[in-house]
Formats: sequence, C-alpha cells, structure tokens
Amino acid sequence: MKRVKNYINGEWVDSGTKEFGDVWCPATGEKIAEVPFSTAADVDKAVQAAKEAYWDWRCTPPLTRARYFFKLKDLMENAFEDIARTLVTEEGKTIDESRGEVRRMIENVEHATGVTTMMTGYNLEDIAQGIDCTAERQPIGVFGAIAPFNFPAMVPWWFLPYAVVCGNTYIVKPSEQVPLTQTRIFEAVKECGFPEGVINMVHGARDAVNGLLYHPDIKGISFVGQSATARYVYKACGETGKRAQALGGAKNIVLVMPDAELDRHMPSLITSFYGCAGERCLSGSVLVAVGDAYQGLKEKFVRAAKALKVGDGLQEGIQMGPVVSKKHQEKVLGYIEKGIKEGAKLILDGRNIRVDGYSNGFFIGPTVFDEVHPGMSIAKEEIFGPVVALIHVKNLDEGLKLIENSEYGNAACLYTTNGKTAREFKYRAGASMMGINLGIAAPMSFFPFGGAKGSFFGDIKGHGREVFQFFTDTKVVIQRWT
Amino acid sequence: MALSTFGAIMGFAAEMVQRTETFYKTMVQKAKNPIVGEALQVLLEEERKNYSLMERTRRENVTEMILEPIAGLDQSDYEIEMKGMDQTEDSDLLKMALILEERERRFFSEVSDKVPLPEVGRIFRKVAQKKERSLAKLKTLGLNQLLLGESGKA
Repeated sequence: MKRVKNYINGEWVDSGTKEFGDVWCPATGEKIAEVPFSTAADVDKAVQAAKEAYWDWRCTPPLTRARYFFKLKDLMENAFEDIARTLVTEEGKTIDESRGEVRRMIENVEHATGVTTMMTGYNLEDIAQGIDCTAERQPIGVFGAIAPFNFPAMVPWWFLPYAVVCGNTYIVKPSEQVPLTQTRIFEAVKECGFPEGVINMVHGARDAVNGLLYHPDIKGISFVGQSATARYVYKACGETGKRAQALGGAKNIVLVMPDAELDRHMPSLITSFYGCAGERCLSGSVLVAVGDAYQGLKEKFVRAAKALKVGDGLQEGIQMGPVVSKKHQEKVLGYIEKGIKEGAKLILDGRNIRVDGYSNGFFIGPTVFDEVHPGMSIAKEEIFGPVVALIHVKNLDEGLKLIENSEYGNAACLYTTNGKTAREFKYRAGASMMGINLGIAAPMSFFPFGGAKGSFFGDIKGHGREVFQFFTDTKVVIQRWT
Repeated sequence: MALSTFGAIMGFAAEMVQRTETFYKTMVQKAKNPIVGEALQVLLEEERKNYSLMERTRRENVTEMILEPIAGLDQSDYEIEMKGMDQTEDSDLLKMALILEERERRFFSEVSDKVPLPEVGRIFRKVAQKKERSLAKLKTLGLNQLLLGESGKA
C-alpha cells in the first residue's frame, strides 16, 4: 500500500508519526493509499527549512524567482493528464472537472509570474520640500496553506505561487482525504529545482493544522474549508499575530426569473448544482423560482437532472462522479432524510442510485426537493452534495431577502433577460461572487476569490491583484538628502 | 457512445485525427505517383498540427462552461471503417483520403455549433474550413489522376 511522504527541504521524507489515515477511491470504494498524520515536530522541521531558505530566496531578484515558475508551468503542463487522473482517483470528480481544476491551478502559476509588475510599490517626491517618500513591498517570511478536499490540485495554488514569487517561503498541508494529487504536483516542484526549503509540504490532520497555526515562525495562513474551521483558523491567527485569509463554506442561492431563457441555460443550471457532485463552495444549493418561473423550471430542471450520467469520473462521458467518502455520503444522505422529516417534498430521489460495476462507490444521484421553506435545514445548511432545495418566491425582493438572511455570502446567481433586474440583483445581493446567466461564479486567477459573511474571515481574498498585498509588507521609506 | 461531455468530444476528436494521421503516414510510403505522395504528405503534416491543436484545446480551453452537459452528438455518426491500409493503387488511396477528410469536415462543422465554449467552436470551424480546402484539392488531384494515370505522366 502506498504511503505518502512529506516534502521538506527539497527531499521526500517520512513523518515521525505512528498514526496514519486511509485514502480512498470514491468510485470503487477501495483503499488506495495511506497518509501520515504528521505531528507538530514534522511541521517544525518544515518551518525550520523554510526559515533557513528565506533570506537567500528573499534576496533573489523577483524576475529570477518568476523564472522558476515559468519552468514549473511547463512541468505542470507535461504532467497535466497525470495530475488530472490522480485527482479523479482520490476525489471522485469527473475527468473534465479535474482537467478544469488543473488548468485553474496552472493559471495561478501564470498570473504569479507577473510579479515584476504586481509587486511594485509607489513613491512621491517632495512630500515636504526635499523629502521623498517611497512605499516598497517586501516579503515577510514563512507562510502556510491548509487546503480542503474538494479541489486538491488548485486550492493550495491560489496562494503558494504568489507567496513564493514575492520572496516568501512556503508550507502546504493538503487535505488528509486527498494527499495524492498534491504529492504528484510536488514531483514537478522537485523537478523544477527550487532552492531547498523554499516550498515544503506536510501531510496530516488536526495536529499538523495546529502545528501550523500556533508555530511562532509562521507569518501568515491561507485556509479553505468549512466555516467553523475557518473561524477557528482566523481566531488562532489573531491570537498568534499571523496574517490570515480563511475561506469558509457556502449555501449559494440561484434565482431564476420568469423571463429567463430556461432551455438555453438549463445545462448551466445543472452544472451549477450537480458539478463536482455539489462539492464545491460555488455550487448552487438553493434553486429559487421567481413568480411564474416555477412550474417550467421545476419540470425542466428535474428532467435534465434525471438525464445526468453518474459514474466513475475517469470514464469520459460521465457527468457526475461520487462524493469523496463514505462518511460524507452518509452526511449527505442524512440531509435527505432530514429534508423529508421537515416536510419538503422529494421529487427526485438520488439515494438508491446503482452504478454498474461500482457497487461499493460513494455515489448519490441527483436529488431535488420541492416545497422547501427557508427555515428548513436543507435550505440553510451547507450540504456539499448533489441535493437541490427548490423554493418558490413571489418576486425578486423575496429572493434577495433569502440571500440577505443566509449566514453565508459566498456566491449568488441570477438568470434573467432583463438588464435592470440583473443590475438590481448584483447591486443588492449580499454575496461576493455573483453570476448573471451563469451558475458558477468562479473568478479566474487574476480576480479575487472569496465570499462575505460566514463564508470568509479576513480582508484580503485569494488570488487576484490583492493577494500580492497579503504576501508582502508595505515598507515606507522617507528620505532627506538635501 | 454519446458525446455528452467536453472531454468525450475532445477525446474522440483527438483519436479521430490521430487515426487519420496514421493512415496518411502509411499511405505516403505507398503512393506511386509522386504528386499523390506529396499531397498525402501535406495532409499528414496538417493532421499532425490538428492533433496538437486538439490536445492543446482540451488542456487549455477550459472554463466552467466545459462542464455543461452536451446533447445531440453521438460518435457512431462519425465512425468509419478504416479501409485502404492494404491498398496499393493511388486512386484507392485518394478515395480513402476523401472519405476521411469529409468525415472530419462534417464532424468539426457539426460539433462547432454544439460545444458550449465559443472559442472551441471557432477552432472547430477553422479546422472544418481547412478540411473543405483539402477536399477541394483532393478532388482536383483525383481528376488529374484519372487523366494522367498512376505514374503521373500523360
């Protein structure tokens, strides 16, 4: 059985732990590897290596640092299909979804290579006569990322390339559920030849997380995961004086107006709710039919959902894969039971789906609840699975109220043919990533990624232009030579 | 098999182009008339480029839209039996090349309207246009072949 290793100081090393977790293939339900639950001592080794490497790396010219990433991009392109397939094997999403994720990862590497523009400061002569002032961006030290299971390739790279290209050194902790993808990616990192200690990876769970959060030599943490943990991470970083960007969960609301072009947008709606088996923080979760949109939307949506091909994501043509684990499958099934108990009407039941040849896989079929009320658990809580709560409201105001009342504020989408309605929606809706006539409002690497309310703790979001600020300190120099 | 995802379409396209490329590679050696050989060589080079283009498109033209389900395409509509690998007459090679080029022209033209990504649609349309030009050349060559005979001399 493959047992993954940590990557510290440019070498693959065993963790000192005696505790290991199982890694599963969600399609077959088979154990495929073991992951070490690294200890605080393992984290410390990585921090010491990163700290040791910091000064030389920090003094390396930004363009030289960027050149490592040009090379890494090529290595990632060469490993593209291999990374994508590894990802499907341990996470379960479809090969198309996986390729999309790997592409998004590489785009962050590409965007980071713009460091010579993005990291520049500013200056002003004669702030007083003969005195000049300069604001310079400087790297800070060792940063770390704690990543979730649902985007094992991409999420660490929302942060890592920017941190490192700015002159910091880095430690990644992948999700213990999906350690193989990042391990494959780090083979490319090793081949790229970064100086030892600049980029490190420590596998593990709670101890590794706390090891990072409470290590005095780590200057900042980027986190993506559930809201409760995001809040915990933010709090711990506050206590220990670290910079923090903690991206939490979501319960995204998708409004469909009566004037929406349903037939045209049905594939986009279906992808929003069932893409990645609903396991993404940008997935639609609550489908809101406004006014007369209700009947047509319900019928067409259920018909399209029923037609989805569910199976092993490695097979081209499969449109929805399994959820990540048995435990998560049980959680999602629990929500379906809860929805029934709370009085919602189950109009498409994905509980007993059978996938030929994959009897042990963690599959859940597309599920739709009708007659959902905003107070029900399935309308409020993050399910992170292929379960849709359909709510009927009278008008846009009522739909916006649902968004306003949600404890989350990650994404919200609207389907309409009316520009005024669209403008009103984007102006008022209390979510940070908005989609108009598209169901996944996913910012690309050159725009910031992150939500509002319970979906985000911090102020500077992932990637985009702003992330260069997160990974640098603005040093102000005031000079008089006259 | 239904081509219901972006990956399935791109996978089929790449495989189709690769098989055609393999056919041309073999046939270039077999052509008796140097003009036919040259024409097949041009098609071979074109198909090599197309294969790279398909691979590149699959890897790089990726947005959330590629995940939208696609309806109304089936690979059986574009499958043909690869006859002619054992042919030795130039006229038969040209006939087979015509069939292959027409198959690809039809595939790329029809699929260009159905893929959810406009830039991929544009790439497919361009390939279809190139195929139209290749078909026109092959037809001209076929007529000349009839007039000139296998050796290329009148």
